[in-house]
Amino acid sequence: MGKHLKYFIVSFFLIVFQIEVVSLLSLKDITPDILTIWIVYIALQRGQIAATIWGFCIGLIFDFGAGNFIGLSALSKTIVGFAAGYFYGENKALLFLGSYRFVLIVLIVSFIHNAVYFAVYTFGSDITALAAVFQIGLATAFYTAAITLLPMFYFSRKLSLYHG
Amino acid sequence: MQRLINIILLFKEYFILAGFVIVSFILLYSNNNPQIHAIRSYTIGVIGFVQNAFAIVPNVFELKRDNEVLRKLAVNLSDEVNRLREARLENLRLRSMVGFKEHTSFKVTPADIVGKNMHLMRNTITLNIGEDDGVRTDMPIISEAGLVGKIIAASGRYSVGLVLFNKDFRVGAKIQRTRVDGIIAWDGGANLRLKNIPKTQDVKEGDIAVTSEYSRIFPPEVKIGVVVKITEQPGNLFKDIEVVPNVDFSSLEQVFVITTPPDSEKTALEESVMKIK
Repeated sequence: MGKHLKYFIVSFFLIVFQIEVVSLLSLKDITPDILTIWIVYIALQRGQIAATIWGFCIGLIFDFGAGNFIGLSALSKTIVGFAAGYFYGENKALLFLGSYRFVLIVLIVSFIHNAVYFAVYTFGSDITALAAVFQIGLATAFYTAAITLLPMFYFSRKLSLYHG
Repeated sequence: MQRLINIILLFKEYFILAGFVIVSFILLYSNNNPQIHAIRSYTIGVIGFVQNAFAIVPNVFELKRDNEVLRKLAVNLSDEVNRLREARLENLRLRSMVGFKEHTSFKVTPADIVGKNMHLMRNTITLNIGEDDGVRTDMPIISEAGLVGKIIAASGRYSVGLVLFNKDFRVGAKIQRTRVDGIIAWDGGANLRLKNIPKTQDVKEGDIAVTSEYSRIFPPEVKIGVVVKITEQPGNLFKDIEVVPNVDFSSLEQVFVITTPPDSEKTALEESVMKIK
């Protein structure tokens, strides 16, 4: 229960942070998706089911906070949680989080997230889904992966302390 | 029965995924449902409150640039105000001569942007005014530079607006110089598009696009942007026109919501005609 309450509080503040602060880090309108990093962290710590459920909840709160397309982030972040859950290994969380595998997982699932997101978002509009996925989606995935280096270095240090 | 339970337990991850995917699609299809509106309004209130707390931290990198832009704008606007004063007097004189009615002025409520969601083309802004200040869904948002967007959801003290760079945003527009009508929309590119302008119509680069008087939501003659590129594709009846918006969304911090409701008599008449059709 305590763990879930912690996840809820952290998720809520990360959602506000994503809307309010992360926009300041935008490069040519590309912003990193810290919520995807957080869901991958949950997946590596708690497994596929927990990450799928938290992915849905985080996406849904983000949808309601953003005010439009209710269900879009819920869908794409559910899939992020599910996909990231495949990399879960018992007692291997810190090993994954403190290595470049964390960055690679974020890159892969972020791309999947953006592909699902734009497939639905651009449906019935003048925007081409493929162009959106490969221009904005790919750039966002790489930017998100680059930001993942920060927590990765933190966990890497934690891992070396743990072994040392 | 036990076998079914065993199958569900064996593939529980997939059942959970399928369940959430179905719920997400149901939510996507019920975006206009009143219950969804109520939850959205409550969430905007909670998130808006936290965003407002964050908003007291100034963006120091933008302050200097904003200052310069505002100084230039103040000089240009004072010059324009003088010219407009003279034009208004002339206009009033001429209108009274031909017996035209004066345009109705609208009430504007100032608002601070306390949140910008420009992530993955979502492109919405959160304002620190809401239903308590008279803000309602579909009310236009403007700034001193021109059209910004419209309100899509509101709670008591906060509201969320859709900006021009959003795939769901459409506004009836016209070229100020030639009065040619079209529709402003966004197709995911760097600029806006002015659509439905036949190749035979007179539109040039540098022309100003303003809101048209046919819109039920937006008042007429609000500046939208400037035509920067016109291309004509063979086999297409319409021009492909790119418009750069007048509003700089990256540095936008304060806006105004037009809180005067649209002319209810006109709206009712138009709706009744639509029903007959």
